[in-house]
Amino acid sequence: MKSFIIAVLFISNAAVATAQQQDLSTYLATAKSSYAANKLEDAHFALQQAIAEVDILTGKKVLQILPATLDTMTADTKQDNVYANSGFIGATIHRTWGQGGTQTAELDIINNSPLIGTLSAFLNTPIIGGMMNSEKSKAIKIQGYKGRLNNDGENTSGPSEYSLQIPLNTALVTFKVTGATQDQVIKYANSLPLQQIAKLIQ
Amino acid sequence: MKKIIACFSAIVFISCITPQAQAQGLLKKLKDKVNDKVNTITGGNASSTNNSNTNGSATSNSSNSSGPVNRTGAGLTNTAPPDVLSNIAKAETAGKDTNYSQVRYALQQAIMGVEIQLGRQILQSLPNTVDGLTKDTTKNVVSSTQFGWTNMTIQAVYSDGKDKQMTVMIGNIPMYAGLVGLYFNSAYVQNNMVDKNPNIKQVQVKGEKAIIQFDESTGYSLIAQLGQSTVIAWQCVNFATEDEVMKAAESFDIAGIKKLMGEQ
Repeated sequence: MKSFIIAVLFISNAAVATAQQQDLSTYLATAKSSYAANKLEDAHFALQQAIAEVDILTGKKVLQILPATLDTMTADTKQDNVYANSGFIGATIHRTWGQGGTQTAELDIINNSPLIGTLSAFLNTPIIGGMMNSEKSKAIKIQGYKGRLNNDGENTSGPSEYSLQIPLNTALVTFKVTGATQDQVIKYANSLPLQQIAKLIQ
Repeated sequence: MKKIIACFSAIVFISCITPQAQAQGLLKKLKDKVNDKVNTITGGNASSTNNSNTNGSATSNSSNSSGPVNRTGAGLTNTAPPDVLSNIAKAETAGKDTNYSQVRYALQQAIMGVEIQLGRQILQSLPNTVDGLTKDTTKNVVSSTQFGWTNMTIQAVYSDGKDKQMTVMIGNIPMYAGLVGLYFNSAYVQNNMVDKNPNIKQVQVKGEKAIIQFDESTGYSLIAQLGQSTVIAWQCVNFATEDEVMKAAESFDIAGIKKLMGEQ
């Protein structure tokens, strides 16, 4: 039954991706014909729409390469989300694992995030990084990428709350885990295919 | 007891340093006096004479401790804007291979090509003279960013060759257009701005809503929102009156610019 559901989800995902691929082709055709007719603004609009479609297709490709499980946590693909923002912030990709369990994890990848500058300053400027390093926040390396690990739930009575922020090119990867130890968070983060993600969203 | 020892050591230390400092000060004063005297006799600058002597030759003045100074180089040549159709073709090919990062890059290039071409068309459509000011084509600018606050900005500068100048900026700037729209659509914002800044008011340029502002240091600025995301701004330096600014702005083909920018 489980494999049947996975197969149905996979087929429906593939169908949506094909439809989006067709949308991309339509926008490209519109751009080409508008440009040939010297309707530059129409060509411009069609190209912008095409970029938004590409962002969504890229996001879906990223979701495909994310692990289906993180230790005992299973991906809740119903909550998978990709949306393209035209303008300042680029595409946003979201996945959740372990919904309803004692441990949960969330991954958000935001392209062209405005927080990249601040985070890079923290990671690459010793004086700033030093001032901001504490028991609740520290710089670490995951698969060779520098990142900042925050312990947000240290002084609360509830489960632990860790958030890991990693800048990948112009994208910000935020990985939040609740109810896990620091070592587990690092272990889960190491199972994310960061290099492949960086290549896809570059 | 410790404090007394510390104070005593400090006094001894200062008394040791002070005569040396006084001697150095005296020596400097003496040098300055000699330099002044030499200057009055030679009519030159003693310190620069000193420098050229130590450097040995006049040419060595141009070199410094941080390395040689650049004297040559033809600069960068103006490259043609990206070819739109070939980039769309690249995007199509890469799309078939699901190589989306390449598709995105090709699309960005195509967008840049379209924007630069559109910008050039708009620049050509602008009047050659406005209110006795001539368009300085060397200051024409068409810039395009593939993402960010603005997509495309077109700039033209009109000048009388002296101190009167008008800079026109036309842009596909959703953020500014939104702010101008907010001003016109919110009575509270309008009242608040008028109350705090009496040098700003609403006007109309050929039927388009606009805001005119005066600032002593920068002169008049007039901003009009054209359609959904296009903004046109005139920065007028050394214009005598508001009427002169309005008359200059009305000599632009606003309907033509709107049409080229794809606005209704």
